[in-house]
Amino acid sequence: MEVRHLIDIDPSGILVRYNVQLEKEMTPEDAAEELYPKDPTIYPIAKSIFEGEEDDVVEGLKKAIAAGKDPMGLINGALMPGMGVVSRLYDEGVIFLPNVMMSADAMLEGIEFLKKKVGKAPESKGKIVCHVAEGDVHDIGKSIVVALLRANGYDVIDLGRDVPVDEVIEAVEKEKPLMVTGTALMTTTMYAFKEINDKLMEKGYRIPFACGGGAVNQDFVSQYELGVYGEEASDAPKMADFIKANGNNIVKLRDKFHKH
Amino acid sequence: MAVTRFTKMAYAKADDMVFGKAVKPVKAGLGLEIGAGYTTPEVNYAPRPEAGASKEKLIKEYERITTDIMARMVQIGAPSVVLETEHVQQMTNNPSWGAEVAHAQKTIMENYHDEYGIKCALRHTPGDIREDRDFLKLRGDKYPIFLESFEQCAESGADLLAVESMGGKEVFDYAILRNDMAGILFGIGVLGSMDMEMIWQDIAAIAKKTGTVATGDTDCAQANTAMFIAGGLLDKNLAHTTAIIARAISAARTLVGYEAGAVGPGKDCGYENTIVKSISGVPMAQEGKTSTCAHSDLMGNIVMQCCDLWSNESVEYHGEFGGTTVQCWGETLAYDCSLMNVALQSGNEKVLRDMFVASDMYRDPQGYVLAYPHAYRVGQAIVKDGNDIYLRAKNAALETIKIVEEGARGKLSLSRFEAKALADSKAAFEALTDDKDKFMSDCLTKYKKEVKVFLPENYGL
Repeated sequence: MEVRHLIDIDPSGILVRYNVQLEKEMTPEDAAEELYPKDPTIYPIAKSIFEGEEDDVVEGLKKAIAAGKDPMGLINGALMPGMGVVSRLYDEGVIFLPNVMMSADAMLEGIEFLKKKVGKAPESKGKIVCHVAEGDVHDIGKSIVVALLRANGYDVIDLGRDVPVDEVIEAVEKEKPLMVTGTALMTTTMYAFKEINDKLMEKGYRIPFACGGGAVNQDFVSQYELGVYGEEASDAPKMADFIKANGNNIVKLRDKFHKH
Repeated sequence: MAVTRFTKMAYAKADDMVFGKAVKPVKAGLGLEIGAGYTTPEVNYAPRPEAGASKEKLIKEYERITTDIMARMVQIGAPSVVLETEHVQQMTNNPSWGAEVAHAQKTIMENYHDEYGIKCALRHTPGDIREDRDFLKLRGDKYPIFLESFEQCAESGADLLAVESMGGKEVFDYAILRNDMAGILFGIGVLGSMDMEMIWQDIAAIAKKTGTVATGDTDCAQANTAMFIAGGLLDKNLAHTTAIIARAISAARTLVGYEAGAVGPGKDCGYENTIVKSISGVPMAQEGKTSTCAHSDLMGNIVMQCCDLWSNESVEYHGEFGGTTVQCWGETLAYDCSLMNVALQSGNEKVLRDMFVASDMYRDPQGYVLAYPHAYRVGQAIVKDGNDIYLRAKNAALETIKIVEEGARGKLSLSRFEAKALADSKAAFEALTDDKDKFMSDCLTKYKKEVKVFLPENYGL
């Protein structure tokens, strides 16, 4: 080991590790334990969702059905409450995004199993069309948005990346979603958002168009009528919930979600 | 061109590494030397959204940007400057667009050089366009267009050629959101390295043919994605200990560019560049406190420690109170370089370097590992098995974990969440095989099943 040439300092006089200072006392597992449903057939399903264990989720569902639970009722009775624990703890900063992603995978696996079992799709909280701007192939942000929306019970029509403007318009016409989302990493591609806005306006649609991503900022999104800026991917389900509770007035949405 | 693996360090010890000096300096452009005893600002910019509407608008935008920067540099007496044009997709997809922009920019730069003697160079960074809507198409019909873009830019005025390539990103994007260490290692360390080996031999050949400089790649698509998702101290999207493991692995990947013929200066957003410099000796651009216009990084000063070019990452071109954005940020960069150059001239460079380091080293595990004595150790871990792209990437991860553990026993505070993520990562890496073939075969099976967009043929597999 070579001799270090670093200056010896007292870090506490230079910076504050607020994340260490403010950390919650409770472990994620303890916090989740307090929130799980108490029903002994539902509890293991919710816990398996929290742990992101897909096979255990399906196993738990099988046992619950064998115990007489209605398969379709298990979506709202077991899968959604399990995911609700995950979403709440993520919002509270107790758990982190990868936990949510793995739990969402496990929940979707459970939904697929139940769909096959009863032969029909479950009711969702509403449809949302998601896309990455035309010319832009950076889609990790969109993937996070899609996962969080699905985790919160929304039916997502995921158009993918580099989506032509007209394809977004067609999807809106076909699906009648309660919200559209758009993400972009580059300044020149996010200009497509304005075109989408103008075409939607022209056709008489007044649905919120939630935009975010690396190069996107509130000033830009505020330039077109339907634009609502989302600084964090986790804003997407909150916006959708807000629309369901308060209607889709863009001014109200901006008032709530525009932070700058 | 042949690929020559690094199996030993370029620097005898970490303390020999400093800003403004590289073991292998690079001459480029109009009278400029990089890593030859002074630092130079590198200004990077993005056109306004509406400028992408047509080729004419784009060229005009870049002419304005270039004139603004050169004029401001002369106004404040900056002796040297590098401009970096990161292509918008139209400029790479239509190679003649990129070429016309390069020509327009270089013409302006030549005029300033002729009139004032300012040393300058133009870096062009084509976009990695090798994909379609559904899949990466690394070896498909977009590859010739991608290479054509480099060639036309080089022939039209670009002095320095760079890229931020995307190999491995489809697996990485899946893995990073699921704390999947094997996937992070496979995406960056193996798939990324394999793709880099192909493209950098070709880009280096183009540079040789055109008399320009192949500067290298960064792991922007992966390690920067991890850093960006990890965010600030209070963000809750990714453990910063995981982000720095991805970063360390990315050094083993970024190194491949220099093994395949690139000579530097490495591009600004490669926060792995200190590690890569310790191994390769090539000069490096870096970004930190001056790239707050683009993103926040918790390493504002520390990344200056061994930089040769000092950059602002990217700023949208528009007006500010003090001029246009490129003028404001360019001026800030130039004053930072001025301070570093005073330190170099007066023999105080190590003092200033160590102040940069001390100010950020304990802010976050990422800065702690990238502090040059630790970055050097990661470098040593890589060259130990330099001939095996898998083992060296795994070594980088394990050494990083060890460094953070040591830090946590001292002045580096870890949150309980970070400590747990670190322990989980350690267990995952220690459980991995030492046999590259077995790892490859396990990963191919796993990710072909789990990642629908992963096509092994992209990597010749």
